[in-house]
Formats: sequence, C-alpha cells, structure tokens
Amino acid sequence: MTPCTSTRHRVYVEVIGMSTASKFELPQGTLDLLILRVVALGPIHGYAIAQHIQMISKEALQIQQGSLYPALHRLENKNFLVAEWGPTETGREAKFYRLTAKGRTQLKTETESWERLTEVVAMILQHPLGEPA
Amino acid sequence: MNWFQRLSKTGRMEKELDGELRFHFETQVADKINAGLTEAEARRATRLEFGGLEKIKEECRESRGTLWLVSIVQDLRFGTRILAKSPGFSVTAIVVLALGIGVCTLAFSLYNIAALQSLPVRDPATVVRIQRRSPGNINPGVPYASIAYYRDNAKSLSAVMATMRASPLVLNQDEQRVSGTFVSSNYFSELGGSAATGRLFDAARDDSASVPVCVLSFRLWQRKFDGDPSIVGKAIRLGGKPAMVIGIASETFASLGTDNPDLWLPLLQHFYFVEGSKPLADPNFGGLIGMWGRLAPGVSRSSAEQELLSLTNQLRNIYPAVIWDREYIVITPGAHFLSFEGGPPVLALVGLLVFLILAIACANLGGLLLARGAARQREIQLRFALGARKLRVFRQLLTENLLLGLLGSVAALPVSYGVLRLVLVYSNAPSWMSALPDWRVFLFTTAIGFVAALLFGLLPTLQMVRRKKNRSLWNQFVVCAQVGASCVLLILAGLLVRATLHTLYSDPGFGYEQVLSIDPGMSGHGFASAQAQAYLDQLQNRLRAVPGVTLVSTARVPPLVNTMVMFTSIDVDGRRIMIYPNWVGPEFFQTMRIPLLRGHYFHNGEKNAVILSESLARKRWPSEDPIGKQWEKSNDVVVGVVGNTRAMELNNTDATEIYYPPTADDFPAMSVLVRAAGDPNTLTPTVKAIAGSIDTGLYPTITPLTAGFRKNVSQVEQIATIISLLGSIAIFLAVVGLFGLVSYAVSQRTREIAIRLALGANRLEIFSAVLRRFAWPVLLGLVAGVATTAGLSRILRRGLYGISGLDPISYMGAMAILLAILAAAALLPVRRAFQLDIARILHFE
Repeated sequence: MTPCTSTRHRVYVEVIGMSTASKFELPQGTLDLLILRVVALGPIHGYAIAQHIQMISKEALQIQQGSLYPALHRLENKNFLVAEWGPTETGREAKFYRLTAKGRTQLKTETESWERLTEVVAMILQHPLGEPA
Repeated sequence: MNWFQRLSKTGRMEKELDGELRFHFETQVADKINAGLTEAEARRATRLEFGGLEKIKEECRESRGTLWLVSIVQDLRFGTRILAKSPGFSVTAIVVLALGIGVCTLAFSLYNIAALQSLPVRDPATVVRIQRRSPGNINPGVPYASIAYYRDNAKSLSAVMATMRASPLVLNQDEQRVSGTFVSSNYFSELGGSAATGRLFDAARDDSASVPVCVLSFRLWQRKFDGDPSIVGKAIRLGGKPAMVIGIASETFASLGTDNPDLWLPLLQHFYFVEGSKPLADPNFGGLIGMWGRLAPGVSRSSAEQELLSLTNQLRNIYPAVIWDREYIVITPGAHFLSFEGGPPVLALVGLLVFLILAIACANLGGLLLARGAARQREIQLRFALGARKLRVFRQLLTENLLLGLLGSVAALPVSYGVLRLVLVYSNAPSWMSALPDWRVFLFTTAIGFVAALLFGLLPTLQMVRRKKNRSLWNQFVVCAQVGASCVLLILAGLLVRATLHTLYSDPGFGYEQVLSIDPGMSGHGFASAQAQAYLDQLQNRLRAVPGVTLVSTARVPPLVNTMVMFTSIDVDGRRIMIYPNWVGPEFFQTMRIPLLRGHYFHNGEKNAVILSESLARKRWPSEDPIGKQWEKSNDVVVGVVGNTRAMELNNTDATEIYYPPTADDFPAMSVLVRAAGDPNTLTPTVKAIAGSIDTGLYPTITPLTAGFRKNVSQVEQIATIISLLGSIAIFLAVVGLFGLVSYAVSQRTREIAIRLALGANRLEIFSAVLRRFAWPVLLGLVAGVATTAGLSRILRRGLYGISGLDPISYMGAMAILLAILAAAALLPVRRAFQLDIARILHFE
C-alpha cells in the first residue's frame, strides 16, 4: 500500500449480485490502484474508468462518482496522472487521464505489494491452524 | 504547477471540474436512454446515483490540497459579509476587543520602548552596563579607581565609559534648576552622538586641562536659549561657576540608561563644578559612578565577566578596603532604557492586570457570541443538512472569530498609539522614544488578536457546532470569570482612591505645612565633620534671628524631601521590624510638631540616647516601660517616646521610627529645618541669601515640605487614576457581557416565558426563575475576586497610603457597585421579554 494515502478517503463501492446492494469498504488505496491499472491502458475519461471497472469486475464493483473523482484529482495532484481535454467518440469534450512515468512506477510497486498482501492474507486464512477452534 | 499557480487559476479549475462532472452526468443519462428509459426517468435515476454534486466537487477540491487556502479566502469573504450584516454586533465586538487588546498593546509598547528597543546609539548590541555584586551587596555604581583599572587592563572591552549624575544645578540666576550628568570624554564619540551645532566632548582632546566646558541638550537649548546658535563659545554659570558651552547635542541623541539630563559636563572637571570633591582620586568616594563599556569584537558578555573578575582580584591587592569580599562583575546589555533583571513583582502584577482585562473582554465577547449563536442556529443547521462536515463549519466559524480578533487588533493599534503619545508627552520622555508601533508591537498585537479570538471564540463555537442545547455551564463560567475579574479591578481602584483620600485628609503625625528644608549639600563638596558642624551652627544661629522664623533644627533625613529613604531592621521574637532611622538636632521634634509621649526630648549635646516612635516602642516592649532600657546591644538608652509620624512612608500609619542625636559623621549630610510663623514661602529669599552668604562655594537646595508632600500625593493620585480607569473599562466590559448572556438566556426561554405569562404567572417569579441560575456564578465570582485581591494587596501594600489591604469599605463598596450594575444589565433584557407579543411567540414556535 502506498504510505501517502490519506485516511480521510474511505471508498465505498456497491457490490452487485447480492440480494440487497450493500456497501463494503474497499481497503485503503485499492481504488487508486484500480484506477491506475485502468488508466494504464491508454488515455481515458472518468466515466469510462467507472464503466471499465464495472465491466471487468463483471458488475461486482460499481464505483461511486463521489469516490471516483476525488481519487482522480488526488492522483493528478500527486503527479501520477496528467489530464488533457479532448473530444470523445460522440464529439463531446471530456477530460482524458493518462499515466505519467511516476504513475507507472507507482502502479508497479502497488501491484506487487497488493499481490504479496493477498498472498499472505490467503495463506493465513487457508492455513488449518487459522481456523477458529 | 505549484500551489500558487493553482490558486491563481482557481476560476479555470472550477470550470473544468464542473465540465468533467457534467460530462459524466450527461453520458450516464445518455446510456440510460439508450437502455430504454425516457429522458426524464434517466435524469432522475442519474441524479439519485450521483448524490450531492456540490459535495463531490468539494471533495475533489479538497483532494487537490490547495483547498485550505481557497477556503480560507472564501471563509474570510463570507465572514466579512456576516459581520457587515449585523453592524451593531460587529461594532460592539470590535470596541470591546479594541479595549481589551489595546490595553495589552499599550502595556507591551511601554515595555518594548523601555526594555526591548535598543537606544539609537552606534552598534547598540555591544554596549554593556557593568555593575559590581557580591553575595552581600548590590551596588549599581563602581568606584572610579576600579573603572580606570578596568579601562586600562581589560582586553574584552574596547571602550569603557563612566557617568555620574550631578545634583540639580543653578543655571545662571534661574529659580528652576537644571539636571546635569558628568560623563567620560569618550561618551559621545563611543555612542556615535553628533552635535546639532558646535562640538561634543572629544576623547582626543583633554578637556580636563582646558577651561571648564559643557554640552547642552537640544531640549535645554530650545527652552532656555530659544535655539540660538551663538550660545556656542559663550560662558554660562552653573552653580555660580562659569563654564563654556562647546556645543549642543543633536535632538535624537540618547543618553545611556534612564538618564535624560539637560546638560553634560566632563567627569574630569567634577572637582571644579563640585568644589572640594574628589571622586576620581578617592577610591572611597561614595557617589554613584555608573560604568558602561563596549565589548571588543567577538567577545561575549560572559567571557568579559570572566576577565573582569580576574581583574577585580588584582584590584583587591591595590585597594583592599574598596573591593568587597567575593566581589564579582555583572555585565548586562547596556543599550536599553531599562533592564528588568529577574522580573520584579511589579512587572508581573501589571502583566496580570492587563491579561485580566483581556480575559474579561474575551469572556464578555464569548457571551455575546453565545447569544448570537442562538440566532444563527438555523443557518448552521441548514448547512449541516446540506452535507457540510462538522470540521468545515467549525473552521468557518473559527475564521469568523479570527477575523473579529484581527479587526480588534487593528482597532487597538490607534487606541494604544494615542494613549502612548499622551504618556510620552506627559512624562517628558526622551525625544528618541516614539509612540509609533514597531514590528514587535505589530507582531504582539496580531498575536494577541489570535489569542483573543481563541479565548472568546473557541468554546462558544465548539458548542454551536456540537449542536448542544445546554450551554449553561459555559455561561456560568463566563459570568463567574467576569464578575471575579471586575471585582479585582474595582476593589483595587477603591483601595487606591481611599488611600489617596486618606493621605490628603488625614494627619501625617507631624506639622509639615510651615516648614522649609535647607539642604546645603556639604557632603558633595567634601566638607569635613568639624567644618560642617561650624557651618550648621552658624546657619542655624543666623536663621533664628530672622523675623518670622519660630524654630530651627537639623535632620539628616528631612521628611518628605528626600527621594532616598534609609531603613534598617531588628528582629523581635523572630519577627522582622522595619525601622526608619533619623539623626536629628535637639529642637527637631518641636520644629516638626511631633508630640512627646514619655520621657524627654534630646538635650543639647546628649550622647548615647535614642528616642523611639510610639509604634516601635510598643512593638519592641509590648508590656514594659521602654524609658531607660538599653537599645539593641548598643550603648544607647531610650530616653523618650514620641508620636508616630508618616514622615518617611506616607502610606504607613504604623511606621516605626528611631531617632539618634547626630554624630560627627552625620554633620556633612545634615539639612536644616526652619519653621515659619506664617507662609514659609515668603522666607525663601531671605533664607537663600543667608545660606549662600555663609559659604559661597555651596548652593543649598531650599524646599518647602508642602511641595514634597504634594509630590508624594500626586504619585498616588496618578496610580489611583489609572487603576480607576482600568476598573471602569472592566465594568463596561462586564455590562456588555452580562447583557449578552441574559439576553441569550431569555431568548432560549422566550416560549416558556410566554406560556407562563399567558397562564397568568407572577412576573416577579418569572424574573427570578430566569436570573436564578446566574446567582451562584455571581457569588462564586465575587468570592474569587475578593480572595485574589486580598492576595494581590500584599504586593500593593507599599502603595496603599494608610489603608489596610483588607479595607472593608473598599471591598463592600466595590461589591455593591458591581452588583447594582450587574442587576441593571440583567434587568433590561428580561423587561424586554415581558413586553413581547405572547400570541405571536406561541404561533411562531
């Protein structure tokens, strides 16, 4: 996880597919990681980022606007992303985000630490001794 | 982009943010329409999903990090609008703050001028004051022999200066004397002083060998000589001795220390101006020579102290009698008007009083803010409803308070400037002192503005944001604090006013009205004992022959005249008694009309006898007859007991005095007292002529004791006036605060009052119900105030003329006045509530 992620920003996502849509807290910094991953594919605007995450996660994650945009601005502020205005396929002007070199490095380190974290967490959860008595 | 660029491009960024979110919104709507919804349905659904658009924007702005600055600007703008909307509140608040902060600023400005600002001299940082100390002695002066030795041998000092105040001098034939200071010849050049015209003393020329010279101050030059430049090179007469004016110091020249003389004389010519004196040659000379120095480049004060200490030890071999046991040298920064070493209690007392006023001002403003908070409750609730976070609202309210605090500071500056100017003009301050605030004052005032904002704003604001209904605890604390603080100031004012009246209208224990004091100043002219005794005898005999003179006597410490008072102390059963000693001639008691209670007055030439004041006799021998008793391990026997006088300490009716017959050592220091049958002032010319004719080398000072008395009293009056002024400011503030608090309490209970009234309740009952919760805090505040004052009055003891620090009239009076004013302040809002339209209130809720 990045140490500089602010604790103030709690990210809520809606989990679709349960009987009732309930909110759960995405671990800190995870949304930033997802955004960086999506933006790494090429210049993309905010709406498309949300759509992409929703699509790739097979509708399991739906990013709220109230979480997405503050995150985008935060990442831009940290110089992980840069933005440019340009036309979309429908001809409207939109703000397109692109990864910077710094952002690419950040994506790499964050991905690695995420993988290690999930590995370790899974290891402990799946270990027989980890079962509660 | 740095934060500044971002800030300056706020407008564009706002537009972009709006565009970005709008794009998202529209695209989402379009997708929903594509999925088969109607446009109206699609928009509604999207809006629901989006939630508060403003809230998202705010969070985006915040994640950018420059928000704090933008939002502060926003808050300031908003705060300004809010304050402008209710000018009544704003003006009251700013006046209250201007008073509270203004008093602090004034006190600090005075301290700043006296102790923080450097004198306008060359390289002030290296100018130092050099004093000698030992475990048993503190003496600001240094013998000239030591000064010369340090000057010649100290490597850590690049220059040594010496100053010595002269006793007031007669200039030409003027009645009014001028003040002079003897200085070493390098004084002006070391301090970088320049001449307005002519030249100053010059270290390179040896003024001691030339004709007697002097340098006039700019002030004296203007006052006496109308700024006429032709005075330079002419001779004036100082104490009857001609001296040539060589130049005028420039207007901005600053003397070292508190010295602000009319003219300067060369220290090397002291023997000429004060005949018979030998301060430079005689290492035992008792006069006060101040030593100043300039540190050599790169030398610290402590290393200079080290070097001088070793020189002191060498000096002890040369003048064993002069150097004290374990004497050491203390070096302090010299280029300040005053230096407060060790922080005397007076400084702490003033600081406390001033802070009390600020605290009262803030507590009262807190009360007003509470009343306002109640009125703004709707606005704040609305903001919470729109999704504002607690912290954000809190910060906005805090910004408003800070804005008020800063406006208060801005308003305080001219208040303090005006008063300070008056003080400086009135006290005849040196011309380099300026009332204009410098950076320290600006900084201090701004800081106090912030402190004030926190003091008055933090708690009410916290409670406003917390949306708590019950603020009574804070209310009660505020009432308690302000009543307590006002109480302290009022009682102090009462005590001082009573003390002044007491001094003015009560018997000081001796008759001073018709007495003249004649100080021949023999000790300064090096009179020997026999010579002095002969002079005194001759003067007394000739004065007795003058018609209109009834009695003539002598005293070493003529009452009311001297600014220096001697005292000693004895221990009786472990308690220390302070005693004022005096050495008096045989007819002293008759001349001063001090009654004899037991025993007899001194006979002519009586030795080994003492006379005690009644209070001293009582304290020393509470149940025995003191006559004939031996006095404290001496050969002296008590021969008489006389009435108490307040001669040495007007403020103390219980002053203890002891009188000795003069010994040979005392004669050169003695003054002559003359009692006139009628107005003593008509005798002054005759007395002056006689005193001057006996020895033409002397210039006696003639003072009517009434003048000394008036001078003593006027000092007390000034202090009493200042404290009374502070007291009335405190009352004004307390009234504002209590008015606000009761208004608030009434506004909280308007509906209750209306219902009670509608049901036909007794007005008196309602009145007491509303005010009852203020009863305890008022009582507590009174108790705390009385306790604090009782403690403080011990420090004030010496300023309280004849009044006990626990004088019941002052205490009761202050409490009665305070209660009456508080009752009036409380009555008004309650009365207003009774006139309300009951039906309308009940409908409104």
